[in-house]
Amino acid sequence: MKKNNRFLTVGISVVAASALVLAGASTSNAAAKKLTTIRIAAVVKGLDNPYFISVKAGIVDTAKSLGVTANVQAAPGLNDDIGQANKLDALAGQNYDCYIVIPISSNNLSQGLGKVTKKGKPIINIDSPVDPASLKAAGGKITSFAGTDNTAAGKAGGQSMVKLIGSGKKIALIAGLAGNVTSNARIDGFKAGAAGSTFVGPVNADWDTTKALDAANQMLVADPDIAGFFAANDQMAQGIAKAVAAAGKKIPVYGVDGIMDNLNLIKAGSVTASVSQYPYVMGKMGVEACVVLAQGGKVPAWTVTPHKVIDASNIDAALKTKNNLPPGGYTDPYAALIKK
Amino acid sequence: MKLSTKSSTSSAQAEEVDTSMYSKLRVAMKDPFFWSNWIVVVAFILVVVVFGAIKPHSFLTMYNLNNVLVASSIPAIIAVGQTFAVTTAGIDLSVSSTMTLGAVVFGLTFTNGWPLWGSAVAGTIAGFLCGVLNGAIIAKRKISDFIVTLGMLSVAAGFALVFSDGRPRQIVSTQLSTLAIGGFGQVPYLMIIALSIAIAAHFFLFNTRFGTHILATGGDPDVARSMGVNIDLVKIVVYAISGTLAGFAAMLTISRIGAAEPAANTSILLNSVAAVVLGGVSLFGGRGTIFGPFVATLLLQALTNGLTVVGVAAYYQYVSIGLVVILSAALVRTK
Repeated sequence: MKKNNRFLTVGISVVAASALVLAGASTSNAAAKKLTTIRIAAVVKGLDNPYFISVKAGIVDTAKSLGVTANVQAAPGLNDDIGQANKLDALAGQNYDCYIVIPISSNNLSQGLGKVTKKGKPIINIDSPVDPASLKAAGGKITSFAGTDNTAAGKAGGQSMVKLIGSGKKIALIAGLAGNVTSNARIDGFKAGAAGSTFVGPVNADWDTTKALDAANQMLVADPDIAGFFAANDQMAQGIAKAVAAAGKKIPVYGVDGIMDNLNLIKAGSVTASVSQYPYVMGKMGVEACVVLAQGGKVPAWTVTPHKVIDASNIDAALKTKNNLPPGGYTDPYAALIKK
Repeated sequence: MKLSTKSSTSSAQAEEVDTSMYSKLRVAMKDPFFWSNWIVVVAFILVVVVFGAIKPHSFLTMYNLNNVLVASSIPAIIAVGQTFAVTTAGIDLSVSSTMTLGAVVFGLTFTNGWPLWGSAVAGTIAGFLCGVLNGAIIAKRKISDFIVTLGMLSVAAGFALVFSDGRPRQIVSTQLSTLAIGGFGQVPYLMIIALSIAIAAHFFLFNTRFGTHILATGGDPDVARSMGVNIDLVKIVVYAISGTLAGFAAMLTISRIGAAEPAANTSILLNSVAAVVLGGVSLFGGRGTIFGPFVATLLLQALTNGLTVVGVAAYYQYVSIGLVVILSAALVRTK
């Protein structure tokens, strides 16, 4: 294959391919790699969700501003785990310098990642972690993970709500899919942050707006003295807000994620707050980490991406930032390591 | 019998007196069914040649062709099952959630200490039962296939969630992952399994009496009935085949992703229907081919793979794949 490359490739790809051969032989040589020759492959979740569109925007914009090439691929749908694995398999055989992945389930990309690791290429896992056991079984290795600490995000939401309504009140919890790790972490974190309150639920509304609306209606009928709602994502918070409005109540509704729709609703006053995550920042950090590694540098194994409670007090600042960045800035451990 | 000549162009060709290759080909090309059989092969070769020309050293590598074969195996098995349903002028909309239910049953039995083969059988039986139920209701209650299997789509997905409590089960088995990664020479094990199933299905459909009954039922159920074909049994059997294959394919899915997930993957349904139409199976029944949908599955996967390798943005991939399906179907229909 090496031979074929030399004969068949023209122009820049000759440079890229031979640079890769060198990089494979010894990583220290890679330090000489120019930004324009770095190629990154990313496999994200379905692009039918605004959250992952933000991740994609973060990857594409950052790649453009650094001058590196990025090929962003997504699963054909949010549940298409095999389809996503096929995409990674297709990209794993090519000469990319680094791979950015967000797995649909914690296991579905493990076999493909094993192939990437066997070729000696680094993997940056963002947003949702790959299950370490299945990854190890497939012979894969994640070089660096960048994502939200969901427990801490939930906790921040809990503390904020208690500050708003006072302690010892009744708070209803609406969770995502039953057994989902992310949902559980947010709910547990919220309970810790709002310790001293009494909790109703959690009821699983499968991340779905309509299901959350129905669930909230039923909870309000069963417990009219509910003083606040916490949902494990923003789409469910939107459904809850409709139920609360229909019941003629004025109680706070909190979500998690900080998707644009919800920020607009916070501005309009129908949703109270959202513990915002910054998918754009995750995409950006993924590219930066890849570039650092392609240049022969080292990156931290685990980076917590920022989260922030966005409510009436800071919504204007949040809406003003381009690409929905955290108001007040954030620390990026990767950016400084890039050799321009 | 009219149906058998319809379903096999080769027998018509054999009767030709003129033996020169050229005129044989001319006669064959005038036969509309020649086109519906071979257009998918032409399209497949075209896709491989085009992507091969654009990216010779990434698309046309053994590694990547291996990827296409692995990616095609599971959809191909589902498409074979779908072919049986469509050949009787039916459709099995429940395949994706039948597969999910099969996966959940596999996951539950396996994590409760059943041996691998036991879980595989249990998952397959779950699929078989869904299929038999589909077929029995369609045959005995005379309800449209579309409605019954649409209902089953929801029922099977629901039971998958009930049994699993919405939780994925991680399946750690070196045998299973070997099945997914390994192969015989350059041919992945998964493709060998899919190919064996397709060959068996072809034999069953075209070389057995029951196969002829299936084609006859799709061609004209009233005529078939008057000739003594047990239409009800045919319906039950075709849906049982589709369900069983979906339940069996569930195990192969688990081998690839290492977990039994309760969430239904609807793209497998769309894929199977697209492959059946592209492969030249008449949606009005009576005309079946196993070869066509099988190659059509390879075509669809090669297309997705090629677009990914070339770096076409995800959104455009939906457009291109949809266009290929509509275009090929239109070509087949107008001929």
